[in-house]
Parts: sequence; C-alpha cells; structure tokens
Amino acid sequence: MTEFSKIKYLFFRGFKQATRPYAALAPELIIPLFFFLINSSAFQRLVDLPGFEYTTYLQFYAPVGLLTAIFVSSGSTGLEVVTDISTGYMDRLFLAPIKRWYIVFAKLAAVGLKSATLTSIMLIMFMLFGAQFNGGIIGLLFILLFAFIFAMAWAGIGLSLAFITKNPRVVQSAFIFFFPFSFITTAQLPLELLEGWYKIAVQLNPVTYILEGMRAILATGEIGQTVFVGLLVASGFAVITLSVATYAFRKSIVKQ
Amino acid sequence: MKLDDRLLKTHPCPCTSTRVNYNDRMGVQAIEVKNLTKVYSNDFKAVDDISFAVNEGEFFGFLGPNGAGKSTTMRVLSTLLKPTAGEITIAGFKLGPQDDEIRGSIGFAMQGVTLDDMASAWENLLLIGNLYGMTKQETQSRAGELLNILNLEKVADSWVKNYSGGMKRRLDLAAVLMHHPHILFLDEPTEGLDPAARRVIWDYLRDLNKQGTTMFLTTHFMQEADELCERLSIIDNGKIIITDTPANLKKEADGSLDDVFIHFTGHGIRDEDVSNKGVDPYVRS
Repeated sequence: MTEFSKIKYLFFRGFKQATRPYAALAPELIIPLFFFLINSSAFQRLVDLPGFEYTTYLQFYAPVGLLTAIFVSSGSTGLEVVTDISTGYMDRLFLAPIKRWYIVFAKLAAVGLKSATLTSIMLIMFMLFGAQFNGGIIGLLFILLFAFIFAMAWAGIGLSLAFITKNPRVVQSAFIFFFPFSFITTAQLPLELLEGWYKIAVQLNPVTYILEGMRAILATGEIGQTVFVGLLVASGFAVITLSVATYAFRKSIVKQ
Repeated sequence: MKLDDRLLKTHPCPCTSTRVNYNDRMGVQAIEVKNLTKVYSNDFKAVDDISFAVNEGEFFGFLGPNGAGKSTTMRVLSTLLKPTAGEITIAGFKLGPQDDEIRGSIGFAMQGVTLDDMASAWENLLLIGNLYGMTKQETQSRAGELLNILNLEKVADSWVKNYSGGMKRRLDLAAVLMHHPHILFLDEPTEGLDPAARRVIWDYLRDLNKQGTTMFLTTHFMQEADELCERLSIIDNGKIIITDTPANLKKEADGSLDDVFIHFTGHGIRDEDVSNKGVDPYVRS
C-alpha cells in the first residue's frame, strides 16, 4: 500500500506538472480545434469524390482532431522531464528510497490521463460543431483508451530524447515527428482514394491504424476488428517508444 | 531563532522500509570512506584514493577550490554516483548493496535549489514526505512544523516560482529535513544568500547539529566553515591534503582560514576542469 501511495503521489505531481501553468493548456485546446474547423471547412467538397463514403467532411475529419489533441497534449512530456533534470529536481527524486521506475511510470500515467481528459473535451466540442458520435459509453471508453495508450506512446519519444540528450532544444525539436506521423495517414482521404508511394507510406504508418480505429468508433460505434487492430498498433507503438525511453532512462541513471 | 526541540530530539527514520533505531548506533562512525576513487567515463579522475571518517554528531567541513572533487565526493556519498573504487559506509550501511537504507538515512541539500517551481511549498513537502514512507498524518504534521519554523507558513500555498531566493533555499532545507535525516550533506547551502539569510541558515544548521544530526558541509565561505565546523578536510586535485580542526589549521598557517585555504591550495584562480565538462554530472558514469 505504501509503495502504491508513492506512485500515486508521483502520479498527481506528474499530472499537475503537465497541466501547469493553466494558460499553457490553451494552445493544447486551440490547436486541435483549429485544425478541425479549418480542414473540415476547407475540404468539404472532397465528400463529392466517387468512393468517399462520408456525407460530411467534418465527420470524416473529427477523429483527426482527436488525434491532434493527443499529439499536442502529450508532446510536452520530454520538456517537463528535461526541466526536472536541469533543475536538479530529478536528483531530489532519485535521493528518495523509491524504485526509480516509479518516476517514469507515474509520469506516463499522468500524461495518459491528461490526454484522455483533453480528448474527451475535444470530442464534446466537435459534437457541438456538428460531429456525430455513435459509440455510446462503451465507444467513449475505447476512445479514452486510445488516447491513454497513444499519449504514452508519443510521450515515449520525447522522454527518450530527454534522457539521452537532456537538452530542451533537442527535445522541443521532436515536434517535427508530428508532421509525418500525423499527415502521412488517412487524415485527409480514405485509403481507397490514395495511390502510389503515398498510399504505401500511409499503410506503413502505424498512426493510420490508430486513426482508423478511432474513426470506426465515431462513425459506426462498432467495436470491431478495426478498433482492436488500432489498439494493438497503439500498444505496439507504445512498447517500442517506451522501451527506448526505459533504456535511455536506465543508461542515464545506472551508476557505472 | 531556535529550532523546535520536539523535531530534533530523536531521529526516527520514517521510511517504513528503512527504519533505523539510531539510539542503538551510538559510537558508530556516521561516514567512513576508505580509498575512494572516482574516474568519469572520459578518464577524468575527480577523486583520487581518499580516505576519511566523520563521527556521529560531528559538523565536518570539506573544503577545496573549484573542481577539487568536493561535489563529486558528495554525490558518491549520497548514492547519486557510483564510485570507481573504495569502500564507503554511511550511517552503518554499505554504499552499493544498501543504497536504499542510506537514502532513507540522509538528507542532501544540493548546490542549487531542487524544488518543483510550479507547485506550492505544501505540495513539495507532501510529496517528499510520502516518498520517504511517512504516513499522511506524519507528513502533514512535519510539513506544518517545518514551514512554521522556517517562516514559510504564510506562503505555503503559493507556487514556489514566486518565492525569493532565500525563501526557496529555506524551503529546500525543509524538503531535506522532512524525513528527519540522520546525516545531512550540505553542498554550499548558503550560496547566493544575503548575510542575514545566511546567518539564519547557520543557526538552523547549528541547532540541528546540537541535536545530533551529523553534518557534512562543503562551502567556499571560510567564515562559514570556521563558525560551524569542528573538523575540516581540504581537498585539491582529488586528494585530501589535510584534516584538522579549524583552530589547529589556523595556528599552523598563522592566519585566518582564508590563509589556510590559500596556503594549502595555492594562489591561482581555479576553474572547473573543462575536460570534465563533457560529462554531464547527471549521467552516472
């Protein structure tokens, strides 16, 4: 129980760190909404393309907005850790008689919760703008699960760079990964309408499957194969990035 | 200003996993270092085969110019760095196999203030207390007492980023004292403080020491070392040059402790060895 309590306190601290100052949350709310409103309006006529099965582009694009919310809300994790390292606060934690993996685990769980919270706020806002959500409570839980897992996976990249370089500029630059992972997907058009190398690249991008899983929940509410494949890919992505982060963490703290 | 005796009378380590009965440990040397060497991964030898011991309840000073090996030694003794060679016992526990027990027994006020800037004093202390295995009640009670003693009660709910340097330093000390550490490592604890604030900290430390806490201090203020320390070691180029009481050292140099320092370490201005700058101190290498 005591050990659980230690993780719990680290988790609360991680959540507070990720949400303070509160003004810094504004861009994390505005950016996904901005992408959602601009793109769903700009590309509305795409629904007229033969083979495009959605009646409104807004509905097609809504899961991309949710995904953007996850990207943005978990993207600052590396910077937060670099701050802890550079201020010596990480040493303060290392001096406590705790298992050191508690620190990383609690931080990731906090980031997952933050992303899930922001994603649910985004979902409500998208619905206010006309997006339909057919998933019900179960669907919502699956969306939050996607957010929780993928946020940890995405945070793993920033964490890895934080532990390897301990340099805020390098960690900040990890934001560029957002573009290929986010854009080379079925974000703009369904896979059937894509061609050539781009289609292959989209199929190789794991985020495509995560996006399609979320899209399936929003569109039909069915928790079927697409959803489970998406969750599986998100979990695999998380295993890879968190393994690298764990390795980097151990390399940086293991007393050689 | 006197510290509340109730807080200092005993030193029960509240860590459930590392509870120590210090009453049974009288006569044990608080710190025992034998042939400690620390070589960084870039082959820089920061500490070169040093040995020394600090008695229970002693106020011990560890002086030296920049880059002499003071901070490296302190980081090794506090379990943050692994020694390349040597046998070290802290509070009766062996460094390495008993690191967790050591961590539960020591407090380390590092050179910079190590607090969560975006949290309140209260939040900072509650987290630290919890990580050391204190119950919620113990933590709240101890945090309240320390905030009261260190005159931070009125700002306890404000974010630390709004504090002055002196307030942050006092809160940092409170965080270090939360779990009633048996041994305190102090790495230039009054750096950047004005004379009045420095004196307040000295009084705290002196009172803590009187109540039995062993002190291991590094400082560049010779007056600080002279006022507080019972014995001093001077280290240079990773080697201990001399260990004695301030009085004997001053007598030997026929001058102040500043004269003693210059006598043993030379007149030249020192910088940290830049060859060591490639090694991030955070990396435990």
